[in-house]
Amino acid sequence: MNCQEVRRYWDLFYDSEGDAELHFQVNEHLENCVDCAEWFDKQSRLESLIEERLGNDTSAQKVTPVDWTKVLINAGVTPVSKSRPWLFFSSGILALAASLLVLIGLYGLLIGIDSSPSLSHLSAEVHQHVAAGSLRPEFESQSDIEVDEYLLRRVSFPVRCPPRKDSGFAVNGAGLCELSDQPAAYVVGTVDRRPVSIFVLPKESLDAFPLQRAKLRGEQLTACREGDTEMVFSIVDKNIVLVAGNVERAKLTRVLKSYGTYPHAL
Amino acid sequence: MSLGHELPEGHSLTQSNSLRAERFIAHLEPIQHQLAVFCSRALNRSDETADVLQSAIANAFRDFDKYSEGTNFRAWVFRYVTLESLNHNRAARRAPSELDEQQMDQTEILNIQTFRLETLLDDPEAVLDHCDGVVARSLGQLTEQERRILLLRAVGDFKYREIAEILDIPMGTVMGLLSRARTQLRGKLLEYARQNGLNSKGESA
Repeated sequence: MNCQEVRRYWDLFYDSEGDAELHFQVNEHLENCVDCAEWFDKQSRLESLIEERLGNDTSAQKVTPVDWTKVLINAGVTPVSKSRPWLFFSSGILALAASLLVLIGLYGLLIGIDSSPSLSHLSAEVHQHVAAGSLRPEFESQSDIEVDEYLLRRVSFPVRCPPRKDSGFAVNGAGLCELSDQPAAYVVGTVDRRPVSIFVLPKESLDAFPLQRAKLRGEQLTACREGDTEMVFSIVDKNIVLVAGNVERAKLTRVLKSYGTYPHAL
Repeated sequence: MSLGHELPEGHSLTQSNSLRAERFIAHLEPIQHQLAVFCSRALNRSDETADVLQSAIANAFRDFDKYSEGTNFRAWVFRYVTLESLNHNRAARRAPSELDEQQMDQTEILNIQTFRLETLLDDPEAVLDHCDGVVARSLGQLTEQERRILLLRAVGDFKYREIAEILDIPMGTVMGLLSRARTQLRGKLLEYARQNGLNSKGESA
């Protein structure tokens, strides 16, 4: 790439878009070209300052915080009840529910349960949407290699490839999602023609899931169940990998153990 | 967050809607400032931000059943705010260059000296520190689409693919218009700096 070509890709480079090959070529050029390195540096500095100013809007400060509950009610998007007897009845139920919650909370404290976000619960929810067909993957392909390339291109954290076909997993696609605000990639497919989803998160995301962090100490394979969904998860290299599906646990374990075993991903 | 507190007297949410609203608000609260900034910048008149934002959020809540838990809520709700601000700008049919008085004031406070061409890139703070209002006005001079793409990237921190999905346009269009918007915004800042003789720090005319 010459200087003119490299500079044409500044937007993609600055926004961390484009494929790994492009970034590699641009980086290679910048290492050997002082003029372009300085040009990129100045462009990036100016753009980040403009973005900083665009993000510091004083008039927006006046808008937040907002009592969204009131907003939703005033906008008439939630049914309201003006009936006093119902209000008393609701209050009674709420009081009862509150008492139950306190008891559950105390019980939880005693047996070590807390209300932290659960990776297995959130993953099971997404998996159920995939299994029901209400969530289609952003990228659909039955090629392991294409899915692998898609993940490498789209995922901002280190990610390895989907499992090999000989683990019994037939891939159908992949996409990105957030689990409790943590970035995650998912690969969907089937085992024995039944839907199976694989969730991949950066290892650091464990901090957001204290329950799973405690279980994964020592990097051992862990299994659990959410409703009808069986799950196994473990730490693989720099990722947390969770496999969810409505098949036998042993088959999910086989998929998990085969995750990331392509030579080119090592 | 406890629902039902501080509601208008005699009003209460039904239990199922309370849970639904609680879930919605839990998703919304972490990104409300980002949404407010985006909305304020996207509108031709920032004093209408609160109304437009609240209207967009109410619309999103109506459709909350269509949202799949675990997917990208931020992109999902930005779509509503983007659409509402666009509709509002169209309905208002205001000149895009219209500025708040406060912004105008900020642009007037300047030390008029002589401008040097490379100032913007060499010492961008020297220009940008004086022209928050110019940034806002320059945004207003972009097309609606360019402005929204630039803001979704700069304020929303969305990837090109997400912007394409929010605006329902091809990713190539996002790339092209973003690049064009950035170039135009810089051009406006340069033009402004030239006209007003902004100088780099410590340099005389």
